[in-house]
Amino acid sequence: MPASVVTSALSKRFGPRLAVDAVDIELPAGVISGFVGPNGAGKTTTIQLLLGLCRPTSGTAEVLGQPITNPAAYLDRVGALIEAPSFYPTLSGRRNLEVLTRLGRIDSRRVADVLEIVELSDRADDFVRSYSLGMKQRLGVAAALLPNPELCILDEPTNGLDPAGIREMRGVMRGLADRGITVFVSSHLLAEIEAICDHLVMIDRGRIVFQGGVEGLIAAQQADIVAIPEHPADARALADLCLAAGKPARVEGAEVHVQAPEEWAPELNRRAMAAGITLRGLAVARASLEQAFFAITEGDD
Amino acid sequence: MLGAFSSEWIKIRRRSMLLWGLGGGLFFALLATVFTIERAVRYPELGFRGHGVRVTFARLEMPDGLVHGVVDVSGLIGIVALCLFAGAFASEYSQGTMRNLLVREPRRAHLLCGKFLALAVFIGLAVLLEIIVSGAVAFALAPGRGITTSAWTSGTGLSDLAQATLHVYLACIGYGVLGAAIGVALRSPGVAIGTAVAYILPAEAIIVGVIWSDGNHWLPGQLLNALAHGGNSDSSYHHALLMLAVYVVVIAGATLRLFAVRDA
Repeated sequence: MPASVVTSALSKRFGPRLAVDAVDIELPAGVISGFVGPNGAGKTTTIQLLLGLCRPTSGTAEVLGQPITNPAAYLDRVGALIEAPSFYPTLSGRRNLEVLTRLGRIDSRRVADVLEIVELSDRADDFVRSYSLGMKQRLGVAAALLPNPELCILDEPTNGLDPAGIREMRGVMRGLADRGITVFVSSHLLAEIEAICDHLVMIDRGRIVFQGGVEGLIAAQQADIVAIPEHPADARALADLCLAAGKPARVEGAEVHVQAPEEWAPELNRRAMAAGITLRGLAVARASLEQAFFAITEGDD
Repeated sequence: MLGAFSSEWIKIRRRSMLLWGLGGGLFFALLATVFTIERAVRYPELGFRGHGVRVTFARLEMPDGLVHGVVDVSGLIGIVALCLFAGAFASEYSQGTMRNLLVREPRRAHLLCGKFLALAVFIGLAVLLEIIVSGAVAFALAPGRGITTSAWTSGTGLSDLAQATLHVYLACIGYGVLGAAIGVALRSPGVAIGTAVAYILPAEAIIVGVIWSDGNHWLPGQLLNALAHGGNSDSSYHHALLMLAVYVVVIAGATLRLFAVRDA
């Protein structure tokens, strides 16, 4: 499948600050791609560049095969939610969407469809000022879906949502991907991205530090072996035993975390038994996306 | 551009827009009409008694007497238009809705022109409403004061009415161009409206009164006032129209350019 977004050395400078620094991104079509990085890393600026809302200082990019210098050529196939959802507070949700359908010459029947998708039909005729933040976010997603997009760019769609709202938003994004829409979702919440994304782009201080499959990234990180002795008092002795075997280990409560490949787990079990320590638990703890992110960015320093 | 025009109408129909856009100008028009007729005097020598200058019956009985009050407050009606345009453009930035609009209509000139045209049509309807309602009130009040209204409905009267409506409307469009430019440039409704009103009301008066007395021939606010009155002692109608056309071309061009190149 061709890439939905391709950028080449894309940069954006605001005065002395280089917000986006020679970014090369290639987003596969038809999957959910996460765009992660801390606040101020350059996520929103990159998204604004892709949407033609600001001009690059240098570099090039194509969205759905069209250069970003001509956004009119592709934005009718792109849906976007940019930062906080922004609407006219004294218009209803439905009328807010109609502003956009009229502007973009989109079939007005899409309004009812997208309100149904984000489950806002019953509140569609209320003023937006009466909506909760979660409802505004959903209305933002509805606005993004209006043109029946091939590519949906969602900037921090779960910002300010409660856990139930975050779960709902994940469901909406999964639904989009199931319908073949490429989703590019930015977030600074790594656990959230890990939960829904197949592909990942990591940005830090304006530079791309990783892009590829989420599984591959996590698998590439060193996994911990977690051993739990039957008697908590044996934890220290078990850690020393690992250190003596050349494997860094630390005690966390009743658990001993050993930095060693998964294959070393049976050896650990044998050595513990030989030392008279009975284990009541032995498991492999995979690195989380957060750990992977910090491993990459700290390594980058 | 048609999409931007049509989309803007949804926003124009909001209660707040109707209240300020229609109500603001109508308030000034009605106030001026009622005061002009109620305070009119039969003989010129009485016109200078008491507070302020009073219009005479003879002046009001002329063919253009029907819209005398409205034309007198055309500057205030223009300031309502100025605030409306400045607020409409600047609030798209302050609310964050401009980005949504630009994603759906990336051709920025189309968006700007469509939005401006919709507001211009709205202001046109507002001016018409002000003329109709204040005219009806004038017709209702004049006989009670003994003012003869027959010249108002004569051929000349109707022609004067049409011309006054056109002049006030053109002046409002001029104020609108200025308001839109300030709204786009400053991107904050409060700052934009404050700056626009501060320029038109005290700033130009100070410039003309203290710094540059010839400014009343050249400054946009003075020219808009002359245009609304169909020309005045400072500037003829044609001079005002020509100068304002130059201003509109320059200001609109600069606004379009700024809107097209600046990051949203």
